[in-house]
Amino acid sequence: MQDAIRLEDQGIPTAVIITTEFVHEAEVQKQALGMDDLQPVVIRHPLSTLTDAEIDGRAREAVKKIEAVLKA
Amino acid sequence: MHSNHSLILQGRQLNGERKPMPYHTVYDPRGTVNAVPKPLSGRVIGFSGIKLGILDNTKWNGNKLLRKIVAELEAAYQFEAVNYYRKESFSMTAADELISEIVNNNDIVITAIGD
Amino acid sequence: MTRIETTETAETTASTDTGNQLPSRLDPDRDLIEYYFEKGFTDGLPVVPPTPQKIDDMVAALGGSPELVECRIPPRWGNLSRQVLAINMVMAGCLPAYAPVVRASLLALSDPHFNLNGVQATTHVACPLVIVNGPVRREIGMNAGHNLFGSGNRANATIGRAIRLVLLNVGGAWPGDLDKSTFGHPGKYTYCIAENEEASPWAPYHVEKGYDGGDSTIMAIAAEAPHSITNHVADDPQGILDSIVSCMSTFAHNNAVSGGHCAVIIGPEHAATISKHNWTRHDVKSYLWYQARNTFGDIAFQHRYGKVYNRNLPKWYSRELDSEIPVVPSIDHIHLFCAGGESGRFSLFLPGWGHMTSPILRALDGSPPKSGDQICVDGMCLL
Repeated sequence: MQDAIRLEDQGIPTAVIITTEFVHEAEVQKQALGMDDLQPVVIRHPLSTLTDAEIDGRAREAVKKIEAVLKA
Repeated sequence: MHSNHSLILQGRQLNGERKPMPYHTVYDPRGTVNAVPKPLSGRVIGFSGIKLGILDNTKWNGNKLLRKIVAELEAAYQFEAVNYYRKESFSMTAADELISEIVNNNDIVITAIGD
Repeated sequence: MTRIETTETAETTASTDTGNQLPSRLDPDRDLIEYYFEKGFTDGLPVVPPTPQKIDDMVAALGGSPELVECRIPPRWGNLSRQVLAINMVMAGCLPAYAPVVRASLLALSDPHFNLNGVQATTHVACPLVIVNGPVRREIGMNAGHNLFGSGNRANATIGRAIRLVLLNVGGAWPGDLDKSTFGHPGKYTYCIAENEEASPWAPYHVEKGYDGGDSTIMAIAAEAPHSITNHVADDPQGILDSIVSCMSTFAHNNAVSGGHCAVIIGPEHAATISKHNWTRHDVKSYLWYQARNTFGDIAFQHRYGKVYNRNLPKWYSRELDSEIPVVPSIDHIHLFCAGGESGRFSLFLPGWGHMTSPILRALDGSPPKSGDQICVDGMCLL
């Protein structure tokens, strides 16, 4: 989250992908660092133990949300 | 009785005598959080012809996820460039030099994974 | 912010976060200890309910100026004002005399090189350990001897506890919430000791690092719980150190796979034997570093799960299966102390968290080491 906030602060729209496990922490961090409006891209937890086919699914989930978060 | 004991402990000296307070004083150990509000950057109109930065924080499967996302996006859009970057460690924020390099060479960034 | 004196109703409120309202006055019939439990401000043990006098005394010990912000504590990035620090110290049961030690510890932890944000959030067990050197240990009655890490000493217990309460309350690192540690360890109640300089045959840790013996310092390191090392047989340095090496040479701890720093605490009986053979601090650290190894094959599970390069280890380590990988990258990644009781042939190894954090050594008054580049590498010529 901190990296995404630094990038946004320097003019680069950023899609930061997190899993559902991380949503609360992301919320706390972005409020603490002053960027309430930053919308992360949330995919279902977990990621680290998935098969390739399952990761494909997560990637497809993420793409639509990435477009929504980065485009005007 | 407990409440009388507390009242006596918290009594103030008035005219040399302890007077019991009609209340407990309680304290908040958390401290304030005062963040300087920062606005988001402007968004892009579309993805065609722009430079896409990919920042991998090195957590497991983050890289695979990002590459698959790039493949999906490249099927739909023609990027001017796709640039890949890796953090030194997922437990530390990215180095200033890395952030600068990303900012100077990309129009949008996708980063993963916070889990 | 936290205590508003008004003459109005029995309950008045003060805000600390948006939406978090705390009454600063409470009905006198309320049980204060239960109240603080209900608010979620404790480490699971009862806290000492602060009184105006205790807070005033603690703020005075911190130098006055209650609104002065000493540092911010992640991951919540709460402002640690002197008032808020005083509240947590009183809750922990500290005496005002402990204030310089607690403050120096929190300033050290909020040094960016410590990476407190990472330490607070990690799934690993590591948590901050504070080791105190110099005259302050005696001045405030710290324990550096028997039961070093155990209970029974107010200074050790409450200094460590105050630090933890700040990390919880101001930093917001509540277990299962923002603190994701899979297990934690008992040091997350309190983890603060003193080096046993009086029993040590060597110069103290802070002198090795360039301070004078008369300086008081704290050293903060993210550490696992102590691993005990037993050796009742050896009457020479190598035998004792071989036992410590054995404890260090495992691929189970984070140092083996993530590099970084660790601590070794040599008990006074072991230290006496080692120094009787004229081994210095430098000799001890060098032997440990040189001998404490895993094979790359061990760390890589013999490639059973694919060829893993392991970017956490320095690039100059060979990735051949039979190549030897030091447990930590250099001699100076081993932080050596002599502490504990004067009977018992034991020492301790405390693995760290990895390269993602660096220990911080800080004088209580924040002054830098006086001798700069070390006059004495091993310190024996000084003390």
